Amino acid sequence: MKHLIVGNGIAGINAAKAIREMDTTAAIVMVSDETFPPYSRPMISYVLEGSEPHEKLPLFAGNVYEDLNITPVLGNRVAQLDAKKKIVRLENGADIEFETLLIASGADARHIRVPGSELGNIFTMRTQKDVLDQLKAVSQGVENALVLGGGLVGFKAAHALLKRGIKVTMLITSPYPLAMQVDETAGKMILRELEDHGLTVKVGVSVTAFDGDATVENARLDSGETLDCDLVIVGKGVDPSLRFIEQNDIQTGYGILVDKYLCSSIPNIYAAGDAAETFDIARQTRWINAIWPEAAIQGRIAGFNMSGRKVSCPGSLGRNVMRIYGLDVMTMGLANPENTDNFEIIQAGGEKTGAYRRLVFHGDILAGAVLINQIEQGGMLRAMIENRVPVRIPRSCLMSLDFNYSQLL
Amino acid sequence: MKQVIVNPEKCVGCMQCMLACAVAHAKSESLFAAVQETPKPRPRVHVGAGLFNQGFPNRCRHCDPAPCQLACLTGAIFRDAATHTVFINPDRCINCASCAMACPYGVLRFHEDTAAPPGKTVAVKCDNCDARVARGKIPACVEVCKTGALIYDEMGHALDQKTRQVARTMSSDAAAQGLPDTVALYNTLKQATVKAGTAIRR
Ligand SMILES: Cc1cc2nc3c(=O)[nH]c(=O)nc-3n(C[C@H](O)[C@H](O)[C@H](O)COP(=O)(O)OP(=O)(O)OC[C@H]3O[C@@H](n4cnc5c(N)ncnc54)[C@H](O)[C@@H]3O)c2cc1C
Ligand code: SF4
Ligand code: SF4
Repeated sequence: MKHLIVGNGIAGINAAKAIREMDTTAAIVMVSDETFPPYSRPMISYVLEGSEPHEKLPLFAGNVYEDLNITPVLGNRVAQLDAKKKIVRLENGADIEFETLLIASGADARHIRVPGSELGNIFTMRTQKDVLDQLKAVSQGVENALVLGGGLVGFKAAHALLKRGIKVTMLITSPYPLAMQVDETAGKMILRELEDHGLTVKVGVSVTAFDGDATVENARLDSGETLDCDLVIVGKGVDPSLRFIEQNDIQTGYGILVDKYLCSSIPNIYAAGDAAETFDIARQTRWINAIWPEAAIQGRIAGFNMSGRKVSCPGSLGRNVMRIYGLDVMTMGLANPENTDNFEIIQAGGEKTGAYRRLVFHGDILAGAVLINQIEQGGMLRAMIENRVPVRIPRSCLMSLDFNYSQLL
Repeated sequence: MKQVIVNPEKCVGCMQCMLACAVAHAKSESLFAAVQETPKPRPRVHVGAGLFNQGFPNRCRHCDPAPCQLACLTGAIFRDAATHTVFINPDRCINCASCAMACPYGVLRFHEDTAAPPGKTVAVKCDNCDARVARGKIPACVEVCKTGALIYDEMGHALDQKTRQVARTMSSDAAAQGLPDTVALYNTLKQATVKAGTAIRR
């Protein structure tokens, strides 16, 4: 058997591990344009912050390719997939044949396209190289940083720069940060916490142009305002890296559409991680949940299926947890449904009490939750959302800060 | 291989296991010195109150596969092949709490720890008392548990015991289910006497 894996992120690596658990002799080829050893992508913001050194990024102590007997093809992007001939062509023109293929190409950060966006010191934040570049700029002296976007990555970038003592302004189009993940009450608590720690947040504005000589010096906003800035981090979300796939070759939505075995519309071609569009358990519809734990588990499941062991994936669940100075924020599932008609939402606490709970029920099924502070028991709520078990115990128990496992017995 | 086995119906909620666990993970490993230490030693087993206020010693199950391990953002969580214990490497942990969101039992806590770099908050959970076991001792929580809610045994042997116990309750007139905690304690005493060979009548 010859397996080809595109991408050496956590989805690709976990797939290779699963294949090796099943089959010690199958050939595994792994292609990636990143030459750095497989690493913790979420850790890059800690490297920017300075709390973890760059050397700590790699996930494995030794050479994981040797240990798993993988043939790595690094520093090369797949340019084209020929699904019928079962061949991928690399940018350097070389062809690689496969019997089974895993598309674990992850996602690329979205760039901003306005006049001046090609100036120096305007960065996205996705790879370890992005952070090395940012650190180089920081070491040359940065006073005013601008972060575009109030999503997870924008927020992490802002947090890291603030910790370095740099003045940071965050521009967001929504009325509060993390609007995709949390409801307004939680969002406002987060906003207040960030502002209390020196972040300037401007809501409802966006950049129309950047000015500067070689590097960026200021940003012009659609409000007419001009902001001085010598470093910009664009956190405007990600798009699945699928440019090597011809339209109509494989069924795609926003990502590669996969069935419960993580197989695409073509037998023997699988997808996992940020590139895959799976079934969202809380939303009950197709969705890309571009988060690490999903990429990790999907990679593993895809690997088993590729090596002939049928393992099904129950679907994916969006979730995140972040520490924002004094606030620990955990959000999962459908935490803030747009149309609340069919949902029952209970919430308690808030800014004054220092802790907050919000539970979103669909009938007697828990569909989403937001917790601020005392988040240690959040995994049980996550399990309840994921397993779609009817909630039989009083809802007040789930809301309680003393909620614990024994109450479910 | 012996492991810690929990019999929740026997827990009377005395929290001795929590104290013993904190002491076992203190620098000094002594109660009197432990209270003075920084960082303050904390337990890895947590006795929570159930819906009827019954006690429940909640600890890491060392699941296989371990959801926390798959969710860990940095590869800090790993399984020791020899003991099947799921460990957290405090040097790699970034205190992100991704593991807490993954653990279906809510056993992870975040604080400074003697095993972690000084001043660093990390994820902490049960380590099966690997240091004590290596010295030939049994896990601290089991050592202090007087009711049999926590035992250290081979899983197969413990299951046999349990089967026999269930069989016995079915043939006697004892109400086997839904016991309030005083009765659970009574049951424990009864079981102990049965083991000692003396049957007592209710
Ligand atoms: C700053 C930051 C913070 C984050 N924080 C969190 C967090 O706290 N919690 C969380 O759950 N998630 C977080 N994430 C998201 C998480 O990192 C991703 O969901 C996860 O890494 C996805 O893994 P993957 O294997 O699917 O893809 P990736 O990690 O993107 O790996 C894909 C690899 O494939 C390569 N590739 C792509 N296209 C090609 C091609 N055509 N040819 C060859 N190679 C190709 C890429 O270069 C890349 O190396 C964060 C992400 C970032 C950037
Ligand atoms: S921490 Fe939780 S998920 Fe991880 S092994 Fe222990 S019980 Fe299982
Ligand atoms: S808190 Fe530590 S152990 Fe838990 S997921 Fe994060 S890095 Fe891993």
